[in-house]
Amino acid sequence: MSLLRALGRRRHLDDAAFSELWSAAAAGSDAAVATPDAEHLESCAACQARYDAFTDWLADARVDAIAAADEVFPSERLAAQQSHIMRRLEALERPARVIAFPKYAQPVSSTRSGPQRWIAAAAAAGLIVGLGAGELLDLRRGPRLRPTMSEPEAVTQTARGNVQPVSLNSDDALLYDADLSPRVEALQALDALTPRVRDVEQPR
Amino acid sequence: MTGAHAAGVAPREADSASASAVKAMQAEGRHPEARERYADLVARHQRRASRIAFHYLRDGAEADEAVQDAFVKAYTHLSSFREELPFEVWFTRILINGCLDRIKARTRRERWLVSAPEPAPGQSDFTDRVAGGGPSPEDQVLARERRQKLASALSRLPDRQRSVFMLSHYEGCTSREVSALTGLNESTVRVHLFRAIRRLRTLLTDDGSARQATITGGKRRVLT
Repeated sequence: MSLLRALGRRRHLDDAAFSELWSAAAAGSDAAVATPDAEHLESCAACQARYDAFTDWLADARVDAIAAADEVFPSERLAAQQSHIMRRLEALERPARVIAFPKYAQPVSSTRSGPQRWIAAAAAAGLIVGLGAGELLDLRRGPRLRPTMSEPEAVTQTARGNVQPVSLNSDDALLYDADLSPRVEALQALDALTPRVRDVEQPR
Repeated sequence: MTGAHAAGVAPREADSASASAVKAMQAEGRHPEARERYADLVARHQRRASRIAFHYLRDGAEADEAVQDAFVKAYTHLSSFREELPFEVWFTRILINGCLDRIKARTRRERWLVSAPEPAPGQSDFTDRVAGGGPSPEDQVLARERRQKLASALSRLPDRQRSVFMLSHYEGCTSREVSALTGLNESTVRVHLFRAIRRLRTLLTDDGSARQATITGGKRRVLT
């Protein structure tokens, strides 16, 4: 027996050695069986007890981890999850559809009948042609209809013809008219008490 | 560790056969039948998938979404499934990649956002905890504390070590399966497993929780 092996047998195993032994055993490796640590473990009761506690700790960790996950995913949640998955798979196979704008009750259909399309296209084309033709006609007639005089002159003449000169007498006449004939009978009594324009102007 | 899966060879072959059948139905355009058959596969694998996703993400809602996405993705990419590979391994790889993507996205988000304190995973209403006929509130509190410490220690492991530990120890995968799932060499898987356990042990011992005695189900158990 080599010195190293003898030393290995004498010294107690630590957690690193346990980890190595456990992971080798877990991986199904036969190499772990022949190591000095494995031999020591077989012969040392204290190390065996500690190794048992170590494996218990790992087993507890596994149980705890699985329990934590199962607590989050009870059977009801798994059932809901399955139905979600199946719904998503079903939706994958359905073709995409255009969703109608909420204002309209019926969904927007992208497949109109042929005649409808032609009618709509003809109407749009007719409108465009009509507008274009109208513009062209306007362009042709335009020069003949233009006035011969210059623009400022025309504006001045038009203004002179339409607007009458304002006379100050017309305001007084309007007020006299208003004074002479109160049109609302209900106000006639009140009107009688009110001084008239002519009464006010007499002292002048 | 692998004992739980030793008897699972036949179901695995059945799963692969089911997946191949679904693939054939998809190719023939028999989609309703394909979906119906795929629903069986979903039912068989969703608990395990949810568990794996939860161990990665530590968030129930996000794990739920990750599992849904993985099943939908597996269904839509079933044409690339090779029969010689177990469906479980192929699907778990899709799931793990999805979880890792989510972790990356979350890390990016958290760089910009300050997250609000969240309740512990699986924490329910106080009345539910007290009124239930299960373990006593004290046991529940202790168990939750222990789980939180373990989860916290696990989250401090490097990604590869954590993946290898979870798949090997929690899910009972062999080192060959873990190698297929993670793309790591088998001997690298063993090294990562050993390092993960050693590190976990150190973290929990430093934390003082590994050396505490706990009372579970009326039986006193010393963790170390």
